[in-house]
Amino acid sequence: MNKIIDKEFFSNNVFKLVIEAPEIAKARKAGHFVIVRIGDKGERIPLTITAADVLNGTITLVIQCVGVTSKKLSLLEIGDFITDVAGPLGHATHIEIVGTLLAAGGGVGVAPMLPIVEAMKKAGNRVITILAARTKDLIILEEQMKQYSDELHIWTDDGTYGNKGLVTQGMEEIIQKEKINQAVIIGPAVMMKYASLVTKKHNIPSIASLNTIMVDGTGMCGACRVSVDGKTKFVCVDGPEFDAHKVDFDEMLFRLNAYSEQEKTAYEQYLKQ
Amino acid sequence: MINFNSIDDVLNFAIAEEQAAIDLYTLLAEKAVNPAVRKTFEDFIQEETRHRDKLSQMKEGKKFTLQPSEVQEMKISDYTLTIKPSPDMTYADALLYAMNKEKAAFKLYTHLAARTAAPELKKIFLLLAQEESNHKLHFEIEYDDHVLNED
Amino acid sequence: MDESLIITETERNQEWRAELRKNLKNKDRTAIPRVKMPEVDPQIRNKSFIEVNDGLSEDIAIREAQRCLDCVDPTCISGCPVGINIPKFIKKIESKDFAEAIKTLKETNVLPAVCGRVCPQEVQCEKQCFYTQKLKKQPVAIGYLERFAADYERKNGLASTPEISESNGIKVAVVGSGPAGLTCACDLAKMGYDVTVFEALHEIGGVLKYGIPEFRLPNEIIDFEINQLKKIGIKFIPNFIVGKTISFDDLKAQGFVSFFVGSGAGLPNFMNIPGENFVGIFSSNEYLTRVNLMGAAKPDYDTPVISGKNVAVIGGGNTAIDSVRTAKRLGAERAMIIYRRSKEEMPARVEEVKHAEEEGIEFFMLSNPIQYFADEKGRVKQMKIQKMILGEPDASGRRRPVPQEGSEYIVDVDTVVVSVGVSPNPLIAQVLKDINISKWGTIVVDENKMQSSIEDIFAGGDIVRGGATVILAMGDGRKASVAMHEYIQQKVKQNIK
Repeated sequence: MNKIIDKEFFSNNVFKLVIEAPEIAKARKAGHFVIVRIGDKGERIPLTITAADVLNGTITLVIQCVGVTSKKLSLLEIGDFITDVAGPLGHATHIEIVGTLLAAGGGVGVAPMLPIVEAMKKAGNRVITILAARTKDLIILEEQMKQYSDELHIWTDDGTYGNKGLVTQGMEEIIQKEKINQAVIIGPAVMMKYASLVTKKHNIPSIASLNTIMVDGTGMCGACRVSVDGKTKFVCVDGPEFDAHKVDFDEMLFRLNAYSEQEKTAYEQYLKQ
Repeated sequence: MINFNSIDDVLNFAIAEEQAAIDLYTLLAEKAVNPAVRKTFEDFIQEETRHRDKLSQMKEGKKFTLQPSEVQEMKISDYTLTIKPSPDMTYADALLYAMNKEKAAFKLYTHLAARTAAPELKKIFLLLAQEESNHKLHFEIEYDDHVLNED
Repeated sequence: MDESLIITETERNQEWRAELRKNLKNKDRTAIPRVKMPEVDPQIRNKSFIEVNDGLSEDIAIREAQRCLDCVDPTCISGCPVGINIPKFIKKIESKDFAEAIKTLKETNVLPAVCGRVCPQEVQCEKQCFYTQKLKKQPVAIGYLERFAADYERKNGLASTPEISESNGIKVAVVGSGPAGLTCACDLAKMGYDVTVFEALHEIGGVLKYGIPEFRLPNEIIDFEINQLKKIGIKFIPNFIVGKTISFDDLKAQGFVSFFVGSGAGLPNFMNIPGENFVGIFSSNEYLTRVNLMGAAKPDYDTPVISGKNVAVIGGGNTAIDSVRTAKRLGAERAMIIYRRSKEEMPARVEEVKHAEEEGIEFFMLSNPIQYFADEKGRVKQMKIQKMILGEPDASGRRRPVPQEGSEYIVDVDTVVVSVGVSPNPLIAQVLKDINISKWGTIVVDENKMQSSIEDIFAGGDIVRGGATVILAMGDGRKASVAMHEYIQQKVKQNIK
């Protein structure tokens, strides 16, 4: 179990792994994530399940290299085993007919966005998708997202692909043109914070899928806690999706950076090896 | 500002407050997702109903004496963040919420006691304040025993 | 219970034991002072995770065993939640038959190496000891002797496979590999059942592994015991969250006929005070899991932990003491316990509190945090403490802490570990809509059978009790295995008809 069946790089830093995990594949729904660990001394990290194949018993993870563990994952090859894969965890996305959905995906946040967009489209919604990133290299899954979107817009900060500008500009443009019934926002915490402010301004109900630090992922430690509407919630068991307008993103950003120095040092040391 | 011209006025006001609490807890009980939390709110309804009935009895002339001792105050909810009730709230949250409500009621009656000159009215307000405080302590003890069991 | 009393009496009258009693007069036995457990020097051990208690040597163990008077009415047994035949194993030690001593222990206790270390003997068996009750002297060191026997077995490769009934091929599932689950699994396996233990984490052992630090309970000891369980055919499947990875219905479809739920009380309780989500404020679960389970204190392990110079641990139970002593070992200059009541009321074991004091832990009694403050990066830097006084006993007889207005003061802290209590893991209750749950989230069970409101689901340990001890969990696991066996056999009979 946990054998890597397929691997593909989308760019230098973003890659996909298809892993043998028949039980997880069977139980998985859009929105679920797994906790992954490599080696006896490895740490546990959460990764959203981008897709699952029940027939073949596999799950697909799309990962960006941001530190030691994601880098280690990127160096595994087809046929290698991942030490521990546990899931599916979290609440599944609530799929319903809302009318027109605006899906705003930032960077590797598009990976968890894909199954949601797919499910919402199949449920009968009109889906307008924005893929946004700093630069062309970080735009991923364009073809797959296009398949499940009525419209697809690409925005890059540096203009190397699609429109030049921030995701918030892209959102404003779309909101000006047509009525949006609901938004789903997934990406780096900063992106989600500002994207939520846009939809809040326009009174569009919005869901954000949060990507906090986790240790166990099953609700026992509270590492992933966030404040939602002034109440403490655990992303791993109460989320990962929450009402975007009620999330305290500033607090979440602080907590996300709790180990940033240690992470940076560890990553630099690891790359030197 | 409410003006009380008689003991009856005071009691009517208190009875109305208790009824408001009963109505609120009824609503929360209906919406509670966790059956045990629902039962908790139903228990609160019973307690507030008893309280309301006691006040009604007072109105009908059955006198109650004021125990001279002050009720202990653990003040657990004084320092916690305000709880907003929600359908999926836990029992621990329900207790904190109830503590806050009882405290607000206690403060109201204490305030009224301080502002009234008539000794009879004052006595009744203090009695009511003490009842609310007792109620609050009951919830605090539950919370202390179960949530803060290692503190 | 009557039956076992008869057994203990019969065994007491055996020749070897009668001879042993004659070897030394009672008055000589009671003259021996209670053994002092050798301990690593506090200033050395507070910088490492080496086990604090060194264990007894053979000679010293035998001498301590001599203190036991082999009472006609051994009251110590009544103090043991799993009813270990205490005089028998102690007398085996005295007669140098260590292999038999451990065998005796394992008849009723699946994890003697664990219990000998973490059981609160002072409120259980040792409290009921004749020495405590009648002589008003220090009791026989039953816990140290239990540990001695278990360690002896492990170090000398004496471990024997217990007797197992013929396999009946009936599949049983145990959810959770903590002490309750391990005990239930062992008992059912010995009865011939095909037992699979499902564990959500990647390591087997539950709270034994993630919660109790290595300086009290080394992980290698737990692994040794788990290997013994594997040898009797128990299957362990880690990274498997029953209710998420698979449903109970699907497990039934796979042929599992009964379930034991030992999923524990792993949900951390926070205090809901302002600033509690600042960086550097942990639940004790997170703090201990990072260090004990994920190796955060070891430089070659990937998982980090934040542990600063001024660490405050809120709470007074064993978990709080474990956390504050861990903080000291991680280099805290000030490692402080902040506890709302007085020292006499701390639920932690007296021995652990003593060890903590020796290691330089500071104790702030009748103190309670009411707010935290952070720097511009959101990292906690100070907390506001309020002093308490103990009020009059209430109807339950307990004195409640009452805050003193105006007593607040500020303390510099850069790490806080909140260890005020735990609640039951909510997952199982969420996925089994029909199961009867208490208002606190515990699974409600028949107290003799440990059977829930769903007839094929049994439960025990912290998921039933809220946060409690290892030995009580083990007792539940034992009770449940007996009841599950009855239940399954009844079902089998019904199906045959």
